[in-house]
Amino acid sequence: MTACVPTLTLSGLVARFHYLGLFLPVRSNGYRSLAATIAVTVQNLILSLHQFWAHHNCIICQPYDLEKGAGTFNPATFLRALGPEPWRAAYVEPCRRPTDGRYGENPNRLQHYYQYQVVIKPCVDTIQSLYLESLSTLGIDLRKHDIQFIQDDWESPTLGAWGLGWEVRLDGMEITQFTYFQEAGGHTLDPVTVELTYGTERIAMYLQGVDNVYDLRWSEDVSYGDLFHDSEVQFSQYHFEVADIDMIRTMFASCEKECRTLLQQGLVLPAYDYCMKTSHLFNVLDARGALSVAERTGFIGRVRGLARGCADAYVERRKSLGFPLLAGSGAMPAASSKGKPKRLPS
Amino acid sequence: MPSRRSTSNQVPTKDPKRSRLPTTSFLLEIGSEELPWQMIQPAMTQLAQLLEGFLANHRLSHDSLRTFGTPRRLAVLVQGLAAKQTPVLQETLGPSKSVAFDAQGHPTKAAEGFAKSQGVVVGTLETRETPKGVYLCAVKREKGLPSAQVLTEHLPGLLRQLTFSKTMRWNASGVRYPRPIRWLVAVVGSRALCFDFAGVRSGGHSWGHRFLSREKPGVASKGIRIRRPDMYEAALARGSVMVDPVRRREVIAGQLKQLARSVNGRVYQANHEELLDQAVFSLECPNVLSGTFDQTYLALPPEVLITSMKEHQGFFSVVNRKGELLHRFFAPTNMNVKNMELITKGNERVLAARLADARYFFDEDRKGKLADRVSQLHGVVFHKQLGSLYQKTERTISLAGALADAAGVPEVKESCQRAAFLSKADLVTGMVGEFPTLQGAMGEKYAAHDGESIEVCKAIGEYYQPRTPDDAVPETTVGRLLALADRLDTLAAFFYAGIVPSGSEDPFGLRRSAFGVIRIVIEAGLNINLGDIVKEAALLLDKQGVKAGGHAGSQTGGHTGPPLHQFLEERLRYYGRTVPGYREDVMESVLGRADGAECDLRDLFFRMDALQAITSQQDFESLIVGFKRAHRIVKKEAWTARTVEVALLTHPTERTLHQAVETAKRAVGQSLEAHDYHGALKHLIGLKSPIDQFFDGVLVNAPEPEVRANRLSLLRQVDDLFSAFGDLSQIQVQGQ
Repeated sequence: MTACVPTLTLSGLVARFHYLGLFLPVRSNGYRSLAATIAVTVQNLILSLHQFWAHHNCIICQPYDLEKGAGTFNPATFLRALGPEPWRAAYVEPCRRPTDGRYGENPNRLQHYYQYQVVIKPCVDTIQSLYLESLSTLGIDLRKHDIQFIQDDWESPTLGAWGLGWEVRLDGMEITQFTYFQEAGGHTLDPVTVELTYGTERIAMYLQGVDNVYDLRWSEDVSYGDLFHDSEVQFSQYHFEVADIDMIRTMFASCEKECRTLLQQGLVLPAYDYCMKTSHLFNVLDARGALSVAERTGFIGRVRGLARGCADAYVERRKSLGFPLLAGSGAMPAASSKGKPKRLPS
Repeated sequence: MPSRRSTSNQVPTKDPKRSRLPTTSFLLEIGSEELPWQMIQPAMTQLAQLLEGFLANHRLSHDSLRTFGTPRRLAVLVQGLAAKQTPVLQETLGPSKSVAFDAQGHPTKAAEGFAKSQGVVVGTLETRETPKGVYLCAVKREKGLPSAQVLTEHLPGLLRQLTFSKTMRWNASGVRYPRPIRWLVAVVGSRALCFDFAGVRSGGHSWGHRFLSREKPGVASKGIRIRRPDMYEAALARGSVMVDPVRRREVIAGQLKQLARSVNGRVYQANHEELLDQAVFSLECPNVLSGTFDQTYLALPPEVLITSMKEHQGFFSVVNRKGELLHRFFAPTNMNVKNMELITKGNERVLAARLADARYFFDEDRKGKLADRVSQLHGVVFHKQLGSLYQKTERTISLAGALADAAGVPEVKESCQRAAFLSKADLVTGMVGEFPTLQGAMGEKYAAHDGESIEVCKAIGEYYQPRTPDDAVPETTVGRLLALADRLDTLAAFFYAGIVPSGSEDPFGLRRSAFGVIRIVIEAGLNINLGDIVKEAALLLDKQGVKAGGHAGSQTGGHTGPPLHQFLEERLRYYGRTVPGYREDVMESVLGRADGAECDLRDLFFRMDALQAITSQQDFESLIVGFKRAHRIVKKEAWTARTVEVALLTHPTERTLHQAVETAKRAVGQSLEAHDYHGALKHLIGLKSPIDQFFDGVLVNAPEPEVRANRLSLLRQVDDLFSAFGDLSQIQVQGQ
């Protein structure tokens, strides 16, 4: 594998990141793995992925400013996967999964965390190799680890979407979801979008050799716990004990109504915002234990109905604009999986 | 144009020197991204079948065909493949000679048209004698094409025929396959074939192990060259890929054995085969490592540990000689490097996190009582037409009680009902939410923790048994009755709603449920009239206001389906066929007459068993021959039936038969009463000689009407006597 980002070569890593002897004692046989001796801070991990995918002609998007359960909800994935226009983007997505809250007591579960999302349409033939190359630029020596692609067929009932792919495992640990979308919002996708979702905390824990997510180094001086522990405690308490069920039900209904109204007026992007809001509100109700299983199914169906409506309207809208990103317009760079990647000005 | 029929007939030309024809070999490899492991073995079988058919259709003989498969490739190697197709002689009949030539012997338009349509000149047409006269015949000799040419041309079509349970698209070719196809190898002899499929061009190069092979996609590598088909396995082995699943299985099984020995233990057996399959088809270069977890996790129920290891990670569990779980696991990996320690530590950490989660669920779940969770079942849908799991629980409680009474064990009625009350509560615990396969097992643990009786706990733990045809039935009476109550309610409910299996469609596993009922009743020896229970189940559904459909709704105008007792009897037939291996006619004799009023499956089973046993007795066949003769006559002849008058029995054989029937009637009646079906049949066997002698000695249709009617009435008695056991006219006799 060729490291295409000079600042992240092995020597670069050693020079730039501090040692974490503190966390991991050197084994008695003297063997020290890269992962065991060098820590990649969470922020540097994100920067490296940005660098890597920017070099492979992805737009580096910013997180979308609404609560969502997964990076897939970001319009940069869900909406851009629809229709014939090409798309290549990478971004960090803060995700909220209220039911996964553990009051900051579980070393592996968070109700708020960061996915790193890459979406490429049409998917490139070398995508698996590219992905693996991205891992090696993070400092994972592919010849020393066991990386397996384990079948994982993805489905999002709320988005009316499904795809086939894998969870990628590094020495048994799931670090990435790898999906070839086949359908979204009830639309058959052609061309097919490939989506990579890196679990940034998981990978960072592995690289830093820590067993507790709160011990992660976010930067050289600040830990994940310093930044987010109290947020986990407060939001767990809010979602499980405090959230006003009646108010949230009302909000759900209002957002649902607004979404439908906006769709009628052809304002698909604002409409989709309200669709995303209903999805999050549903997740809060679910965490609060306010929904029976039967009711749950009903709510999921309502969100899916909105997502479908948005998908239909989005494709129509792009069509009326003449699919501006279609090849030839020059707006979207072609696939760059072959040849030397273009360098971004640094 | 004169109308004519033309028939084509292909005749492979005979060649006595076939064995000396040059042969070659052929390799096809479909390289893809990682396929789901369950799909690989079936795909290999499918590929072999498709190719066998393809070679036969294209007149390409071959000696052997062997398939290979890993997550990243399906391959087939054909050896002793004919280098060329078998040539054929194709004869096509045309118009009759009389139409084809005029009086002067010149060809007519009919002959010319036929020659043209066949692409030959009129002068080459031959004639053939047929039963209808002499006809023209176009003879074409088709030379065999080289196999390489045939394969190049038709392989894309062949590949398109592969089908899978779930497929995807990935590029503009629109081809569907379980994951993207990335390379194709096709080699005949020493020549690589070149065709396009799924946006990929075939060639003579493959790819090895993703990380261990020296050849990697990218700079200056075209992959691993497959020079000749028979070098495939060895070439890939150099690329660190074991292409033969049989070999991989041996390696993994061998390593497991060795690792187990090294820790004085053995691999936990119950899920061993399943995990082995998964490992064999998930790995290209299998290498099993041994890891440990914190001993304190051994305080969790072993089922939880084993399930967590298996379902999350695909790990094998390890037990000691006493069968107790060790704090150790064996993990199949796809890497073979000198230092496996890094990989081992990684896997240990992942498992530790999983087990920490399991402990969290276990602790959380035990903070509340199982009984207090039952009300949560209101919110869980059993089926949208059949209400909630809470409603199902209510019905199961009633049925469990009714079953305890019907089985004559009222002393366990209370336990049955308590167990039924708690039976579904574990479905709303965190642990079962995480591991659905632990349903039942967790209910048992939590019930025990709450201080429920041992009888109740055990029943909750085992009532899902038998889960598979090989699984044992529940051990305890309460467990068995709860298992029956749960399944009979499920069956009754779906039948009540008119949702019944048809053809191969059985989305709710009703056949499996019914088979479970059969096995429990027979293997546990329960004499229960399920007819009453089935009625009771329908009544309970009605009381809950469930809407009837299908058979149950037929009175109210719904469509009709088979009644449940018939469905159970059909499963009993399946059981009789597959387990003890009863003759079809034996089962039909007994089951053909069951009417559901008395649905005592065990009794029906005993009847079949006795009948099957007697079929091997010497006199059985001739007894049936005699009985059937009597049966036919009684069915066919018309007379006024009456009691047999002894005075009218003139011939000694008549009197003997009459006496024998009278004696047997009492004896058979007593045996049937006592459910002694072997005994009943033994008494019937005794009638063999009297029946035979009767038919030898007298003419049934005697000229005197009185005598005739008396003899027919005597035969009617014989028929009734046999019919008391079953419809023995169904029995097939050799030579009949």
